[in-house]
Amino acid sequence: MPAPRSQHQPTPDLTALGERVSAARAATEARGETFYQGASKTFLAGFPPPQRWDDWVELDSRAWPERVEHHSMLVPTTCFNCESACGLLAYVDRSTLQVRKFEGNPAHPGSRGRNCAKGPSTINQVTDPDRILYPLRRAGERGEGKWERVSWDEALDALAARLRAAIVEGRQNEIMIHIGRPGEDGFTERVLASWGVDGHNSHTNVCSSGGRTGFQFWTGIDRPSPDHANAKVIYLISSHLETGHYFNPHAQRITEARAKGAKVIVLDTRLSNTATHADYWLSPQPGSEAAINLAVARHIITTGRVNWDFVHDWWNWQEYLEARRPDGPQDFAAFQAALGEEYDGYTFELAAAESGIDAAVLAEMAEVVAGAGTAFSCHSWRSAAASNLGGWQVSRTVFFLAALLGAVATPGGTFPNAYNKYVPRPIHTPPHPKVWQELSWPLEFPLAQNELSFLLPHFLKDGRGRLDTYFTRVYNPVWTNPDGLSWMEVLTDPEKVGCYVALTPTWNESAYFADWILPMGHASERHDTHSYEQYDGQWLGFRQPVLRAARERLGETVTDTREVNPGEVWEENELYIELSWRIDPDGRLGIRQYYESKERPGEKLTVDEYYGWMFDHSVPGLPEAAAAEGLSALQYMRRYGAFEITKGQGALYAEEVPPAELEDLHVTPTGRVYTSAPKPESDNIGPLGAPPPDDRGRRPVGVVVDGTVRRGFPTPSGRLELYSSTIAAWGWPEHALPGYIRSHVHPDELAPDQMVLLSTFRLPTQIHTRSANSKWLDELSHTNPVWIHPSDAGRLGVRRTGELVRVSTDIGYFVAKAWITEGIRPGVVACSHHMGRWKLTGHDQVSPGGMMATVELGHDAAGWSMHARERVGPYESADPDTRRIWWSDTGVHQNLTMPVHPDPISGMHCWHQAVRVSSARPGDSHGDVAVDTEKSREVYRQWMARTRPAGTYSPDSTRRPAWLMRPLKPAAETFSLPGGTGRRT
Amino acid sequence: MRQALEPRPTPRLAGDGSARSAPAPGDPGRWELIRALGALCGAPPPDGWVICDALGLARWSRAEHTGVFVLDLPPHASIHLGPEGKLGGVGADRVAGMWRALDLQPPADADHLGALLGLYAELGRAGDACRRDLTRRRLEHARVALLAEHLASWVPGYLAAASTHPPAAGWARLTASALAREADRSGLPAALPAALRDAPAAIAAGDGLDELLDALPAPVRTGFVLTHTDLVAAGRQTGLGVRRGERRYTLRAMLEQDPAATFAWLSDHARRWACLHRDSPLAGPARDWWAQRATLSAAVLQTLAGEPR
Repeated sequence: MPAPRSQHQPTPDLTALGERVSAARAATEARGETFYQGASKTFLAGFPPPQRWDDWVELDSRAWPERVEHHSMLVPTTCFNCESACGLLAYVDRSTLQVRKFEGNPAHPGSRGRNCAKGPSTINQVTDPDRILYPLRRAGERGEGKWERVSWDEALDALAARLRAAIVEGRQNEIMIHIGRPGEDGFTERVLASWGVDGHNSHTNVCSSGGRTGFQFWTGIDRPSPDHANAKVIYLISSHLETGHYFNPHAQRITEARAKGAKVIVLDTRLSNTATHADYWLSPQPGSEAAINLAVARHIITTGRVNWDFVHDWWNWQEYLEARRPDGPQDFAAFQAALGEEYDGYTFELAAAESGIDAAVLAEMAEVVAGAGTAFSCHSWRSAAASNLGGWQVSRTVFFLAALLGAVATPGGTFPNAYNKYVPRPIHTPPHPKVWQELSWPLEFPLAQNELSFLLPHFLKDGRGRLDTYFTRVYNPVWTNPDGLSWMEVLTDPEKVGCYVALTPTWNESAYFADWILPMGHASERHDTHSYEQYDGQWLGFRQPVLRAARERLGETVTDTREVNPGEVWEENELYIELSWRIDPDGRLGIRQYYESKERPGEKLTVDEYYGWMFDHSVPGLPEAAAAEGLSALQYMRRYGAFEITKGQGALYAEEVPPAELEDLHVTPTGRVYTSAPKPESDNIGPLGAPPPDDRGRRPVGVVVDGTVRRGFPTPSGRLELYSSTIAAWGWPEHALPGYIRSHVHPDELAPDQMVLLSTFRLPTQIHTRSANSKWLDELSHTNPVWIHPSDAGRLGVRRTGELVRVSTDIGYFVAKAWITEGIRPGVVACSHHMGRWKLTGHDQVSPGGMMATVELGHDAAGWSMHARERVGPYESADPDTRRIWWSDTGVHQNLTMPVHPDPISGMHCWHQAVRVSSARPGDSHGDVAVDTEKSREVYRQWMARTRPAGTYSPDSTRRPAWLMRPLKPAAETFSLPGGTGRRT
Repeated sequence: MRQALEPRPTPRLAGDGSARSAPAPGDPGRWELIRALGALCGAPPPDGWVICDALGLARWSRAEHTGVFVLDLPPHASIHLGPEGKLGGVGADRVAGMWRALDLQPPADADHLGALLGLYAELGRAGDACRRDLTRRRLEHARVALLAEHLASWVPGYLAAASTHPPAAGWARLTASALAREADRSGLPAALPAALRDAPAAIAAGDGLDELLDALPAPVRTGFVLTHTDLVAAGRQTGLGVRRGERRYTLRAMLEQDPAATFAWLSDHARRWACLHRDSPLAGPARDWWAQRATLSAAVLQTLAGEPR
């Protein structure tokens, strides 16, 4: 060994060195370069630092070895594909002022700079050569495919005249705006409220109503917010790592939890990508999920793992005893015994018989759940809750597990979403409309979570009403809903729909039948705010027209987003402001006031003032954070695209109610507290249940727990409601507790030759028709084969993958390719609903791109038929990529063949179908569809017969429990039943 | 702390503030220096050159970096504190436990000096940024525990060895100075680090050859670091042939050629290490422990040198 040198060297000036390193790092990162490099131990600067967002330099890889620099302005916005609302950074080329690409926004608290494939593919949508750039008016017959370009003024004047006439003539219910995934919080609802119209219609009853219902009846809030990152056990009835609300922000947190040792349990009949990552993948018989949940609940109860302190304080167990066991003791011990008795029948053996999963496997999984304690996060959204009669009991029984464990608003537990959502109060708040739209909220469904949107064609055919002006807003009802050909029938009938206006960026299967096409912007071409529950915190996101923001950074003034958008593409904010002014130009209808400037009374409100006011007045901490950087709140949001308002909300239900709110109190025997003190103004107007006042009009303010008035939950009892007095009172006492409702596709309901068609799953790289015209996504996912188990394939004579099969529903059939796989249960087939896009022969204004077959649509006495005349293939265009389309198969539009199945309680369409599967017949061709809409009417009537209408069952002569959430709530007086009918006793 | 984690593997603790909270008070350069020194041993050139430049250190080549940090002196706690002088095992588990105690997922090489210095710097930064006293105190406690248990327990010896490798010498001396300053500012507990309290037995004159061969490359058994470079030097000084292979193989070959000369050289080597430990700028119980163990080894090896084998 060489003699080591003494370590006693002159001591360097470590402080100076530290400062030097800090300065070097700052300078390096300010240049957009990475100081700490390497694959391990040091982190890569994954994103351009914000101080470089005005002039970000990248080298052109295609120019190599030449060193050619690209200079970009980086402008944040929010993805407008799925509802996750992940942050994007638009790279705006400084020389052309066009968007070059989209990447993740590191300043976004939810997505934290990460995106799925759909985010960056926004550039395909922006540059889509086939997008709609100008307002169009129908020139031929509806659906004929003839259009003429018109000016925005022509379109707005014509529509304003129609709308004004309907409003003035008291025909408010002939106006409807039908929304796809909103991607924003409440703007459209307020537009309708300002018009005095109860015309909000959403897609939610074909999406998440079933899931929401279960949560709403427990917590008074209709969504869960699982704190996956801190969970010990993550329980998913979904394919949540790959799709769904809010899969990217949640998936990255689930991944973190797994890295820390969390167990993931997935109930999914199909081997989804999520299931492949699960510690426990259970593939149940479709519709049996609630039985499994209840067996787990029983295990928690019988093995003594119930968090009884939590149950004692926060469940409405007293109400349960009063209602269900009035003659017995009314103390907690009696409740504990009763709870065990209620669920004693849900054994693992019963769950095994229902689900087809071995009882021992269920028991092992249940033990994992029982051991989670308060770190149990759970999620059920669409999937089983959206597929089965009684599916809403799936989410209700999932939350039951969290409630038993006390894992509610705990680290790693499951929060009510309102704790983690922030909807800022806007500059103007119009009053509740004074009309009730029965086409959306019919008497048959008093407990429906959302509008009975998918029944609209049937209600119109029933003659329950007509629509004078029907808007679809980035929505495609013919394609998305079940029974789409019934939609087509009413959309082409001017007696039923007087004027159909499609607000859409792209052509779609519904827009073909519109009277007006109004071009809307994509993610980088519109303003919106939004806030979603993605972890235990609250954030606000801002979608913005990035070229507008970029030009403003350069010192230009932009007052109309059309100035910077392609063609004459617009955004809804400015559109509705302008349209409302034209409906009420002199303000006499009382509409214009909601679109007037506060700064300049009598002048039109601008989007800058609308959002500037909101950010200045309604978002705590934002003005201060902005001021710290020398910015206004609006400038801050234009620069960063998002703001985190709070973090670590915790158990808000346990907060003490301040003394100022406790005045003239009324405390019920169960501890519900009512007060005469007015409700303090809140700047967060996020949706919640609105429990009713007491008989003297005092508002519910909390519940007494341990002698203290605490905030509680927005339910009638103020507590978590194991027992729902609402469900019991409105005609469904047998479902007042979390329970198991046998699905309409339960094996007992199937004929011997029927199978279950599981039709609800998404593909990770598409999102219905919203992601249309993204060529990268189309290449990744463009078809939807029918998953079929090898044993079924053998039985049915399907010899190999790719063979055609005919899948017959109650109203028709579709023809698709088989995919023989063990990733699906025997007896069940599965087909994603994402594919099967089509355009009609003769609609030459639409390019097929990589996704749309050109179809011939026929109609005769047997019903409708659809047959592909031309499939996709390579073609010449300005985009060289169209010459590289290597596929021809774009799948099948299966939803056309599905009749409506409204759940009588939640109102959710129950998507699963009982089908017969056979080999294709001679003459069958891939993508063929046949439907008899007369049969769909029969099925509609059968399901309507399951309902218990308010006219008969209402306990208080109202249409609907007023406390339940409703996206646009009309005025209180509209809740009264016409004629004052009500409960039969 | 859980929610504040940035992309792995570098830990990033935001304390109780958000990423855009007020600028951290204190001395950010203090933590940056530690982080930079850690990054240098983990980042092969040219990645670390920008750091070398900032620190005023000569840039090293990729071959030089590999020679020191991969081949001759891998900077892992498990090698220096584990009973076999190898990667993994109890030495690595103990360090991983520290990461887990902080609610962090241990990276694959959690006991790498670069990872440990990065973690130390991040704990310091997060503590400075913290607005709540309790949280700040907890972070400071964790940082000092990391210094005492997982850095002071082995790094001074490692740096002493690295300082004999010309390409790394400047870095090693600077790192030693920086850690000494940390120890001065933070104060080290009087108790011996757990890894040394529970250290495996020292070598003994009665050990068999195989047992000795297992123990000699394990610093915690002998109190000294024995590198390939050292063995080559030993061969040169003793006139023995140095067979190429892993250290155990090379040592066996030397002992087979001339056990007395080999043990004598090893004894001298141990004595020099005892001095090195005593001269370490990082005072504390660990320094004394290492010096005593090297002294004991010197005596044992001297005894063995005098015994016929």
